[in-house]
Amino acid sequence: MRTLPATTPRPAPASAQGTPPRAARSWKPRQTLPAYAMLAPSLLGFAVFLIAPILVVVALSFFDWNLLSDPEFVGLENYRALAEDERALQAIGNTFYYVLLNIPAQTVLALLLALALNAKIKARNAFRVIYVLPWMAMPVALGVIWRWVFDPAYGALNRFLGLFGVDGAAWLTDSAWAMPVIASVNVWQYTGYTMLFFLAGLQAIPAQLYEAADVDGASPVHRFFSITLPLLRPAMLFVLITSVIGSFQVFDTIHVMTAGGPAGSTATLNYQIYLESFTQRNAGYASMLAVILFAIIALITLAQAALFRKRTVYDFS
Amino acid sequence: MNKTRSAALAALALALPATAACGGDDGGAVTLRYAFWDDNQRPALEAMIAAFNEDHPDIAVELEQNPWEDYWTGLDSRFAAEDAPDVFWNHVSRFPTYADNGVLLPLTDYIEEDGVDPSVYPASLYDSWRFEDDQYGLPKDWDSIALVYRVDALEAAGIDPATVGDLEWNPVDGGTYVEFLQKLTLDAAGNNALSPDFDPENVVQYGTAMSSNTGQTDWWNYAVQNGCALQTEPWGDYAIDAPECVEAIQFTADLYNRWGVAVPAESTNQPNGGVPGDYVVAGQAATALDGSWTLSFYRDGLEPGTWAVADNPSGPAGSGTVINGLSNAIYAGTEHPDEAWELVKFLGSEEAQAIATDMGSVWPGVSSLNQGFADYWAGQGIDVTGFQTAAEGTTIGYPLSMNDAAFGTAALDEFNQVWLGQKDAQAAAEAVVELANAE
Repeated sequence: MRTLPATTPRPAPASAQGTPPRAARSWKPRQTLPAYAMLAPSLLGFAVFLIAPILVVVALSFFDWNLLSDPEFVGLENYRALAEDERALQAIGNTFYYVLLNIPAQTVLALLLALALNAKIKARNAFRVIYVLPWMAMPVALGVIWRWVFDPAYGALNRFLGLFGVDGAAWLTDSAWAMPVIASVNVWQYTGYTMLFFLAGLQAIPAQLYEAADVDGASPVHRFFSITLPLLRPAMLFVLITSVIGSFQVFDTIHVMTAGGPAGSTATLNYQIYLESFTQRNAGYASMLAVILFAIIALITLAQAALFRKRTVYDFS
Repeated sequence: MNKTRSAALAALALALPATAACGGDDGGAVTLRYAFWDDNQRPALEAMIAAFNEDHPDIAVELEQNPWEDYWTGLDSRFAAEDAPDVFWNHVSRFPTYADNGVLLPLTDYIEEDGVDPSVYPASLYDSWRFEDDQYGLPKDWDSIALVYRVDALEAAGIDPATVGDLEWNPVDGGTYVEFLQKLTLDAAGNNALSPDFDPENVVQYGTAMSSNTGQTDWWNYAVQNGCALQTEPWGDYAIDAPECVEAIQFTADLYNRWGVAVPAESTNQPNGGVPGDYVVAGQAATALDGSWTLSFYRDGLEPGTWAVADNPSGPAGSGTVINGLSNAIYAGTEHPDEAWELVKFLGSEEAQAIATDMGSVWPGVSSLNQGFADYWAGQGIDVTGFQTAAEGTTIGYPLSMNDAAFGTAALDEFNQVWLGQKDAQAAAEAVVELANAE
């Protein structure tokens, strides 16, 4: 009779599967060298086109440079000047305003669209394509067309409102309207794209969960908040991080629709960087603003990641 | 060159889209890049280059066009990347900073060696390209502003075109100029702005269209006609907060908001709005104060006989405008300075500029050709002497300053708000002066 030796390792419990055994992490040149070799081209591109320019911009932020002659070291002068630069401070405020206008609207709309297009409706695929089309078009071309639409005297929107006796606003030259209008154009443009990630997330949710919820008699609202939303958390994290970063970096729509006006009311930090560097020839000062923008985005991204760290897992075993 | 600059250049070079490489140096065949901003002038440039190539078949010239709003930012970043075009249009507003920072090739020695005669150009035009004892360009053209109008609109309003040159304005009641513009401002029912039935919410034709990135085709004209010189002196501080300047700025705002005779600033404000010619050609405006360089735009957009040019209106200080000229300049870092000089020398010659004037492109830098330009337009049924009259009178030269970029940005930003009726002219002028004179 054979008995199992007592030393036979037991299979690892399911809960511990996330931690690989020690041996798997040790150096295996035969596997890792080809991997690094294959990564090398993209690492090189990453270093040359991303890391190097970032380092140069950080360095330039300590210089005064007019693009035409040699930069001059000024230490922290650019950072000190920021405190008294009303335009730059206004731009930082504008940026947050824009992000707040943009992100909640875009995320909620994208989620609603994803839910609608996840249901079994007719011509579902056609709708999916239609909603993604604006994202595929060039932002500059769209900006120009929207500028015509919003033109107060000759634009389509005010002509249309005029049919109902409504006096449309001067959308792009009224400092109260300009930013919401630009945000709405961007929401329109990116909602379909964001929707794609929610759709993918929705399709990854196991149908058994909904079946079980039906058996338990859960209402649709209850199902949404207890199953759909928690299980969309990874998709939500990805969508929020990428769209928040994208919103902080908005440029093209603003450039063609308002050029930062009226009275600087649509000049976001990214736009201010462009103005300082290329119309005022203060490349060092603009680099400082770029470092500030980088810091803001990094902090907010870290905060988002921390907020979404908690994961919801339903165990089927 | 120090290390930081090299590093910065390397980064910028990566950030910028690669531009076309220069032609090979084998066997002397060379390609020059020639940058300009006004697409209206492309046919004349192409004709001049074709003539240049008859004598210089081994020097190819590639044209690079960027509209004014993007031209200077593009040029600056290519100076930074040391990849600027070999030859480019230069403007007096940018010239001082460029010359001071050494990005322009001094032409003094070339001019002496080749015996170029500066006296063929007006002295003021030639000297505006001199900086600290060196010459940095040969005059390409000169320009001024005059009143362009739709003959058909005037006839419909019962205005005799012969009277257009005698219009006068004042800041108090607007004068005959505003009355003229009111007669040309029509609502959908055909009532003009003087009629009690006029509906200002439903205007189909405005008296005038104003828009300018700089002020050159809008408020500068009224400023000069009101005795405002924009600066304390050439190279001096900006002084547009003086009473005579603020009055003119207010008058410009009045054309929009008090009299309602101008295409609304919501549509015309730069940098994204339309240019005056757009509205005149489309029939949405009856007149515009516009630059001599835009004549071919009107020619190509309107039937002969439906438009004409008259003298500017007169303000309290007289009639006048801001005159200006461009030059062809050479990038100091060019790999082909001798070939670039050959091109610039040719473009500055009577032979080349005659080609442009015979096409009605721009008023020439070479004085003897002015008549040729006027003759071309007379042949088109257009009397362009209004631009020559405008070059006299109370006219001043383009403001000269190292702070042009700061002034331009601040002025556009502030005055856009004034045109919209959102800001007081005095406060805006003071804000501009403070920003522009700060550096």
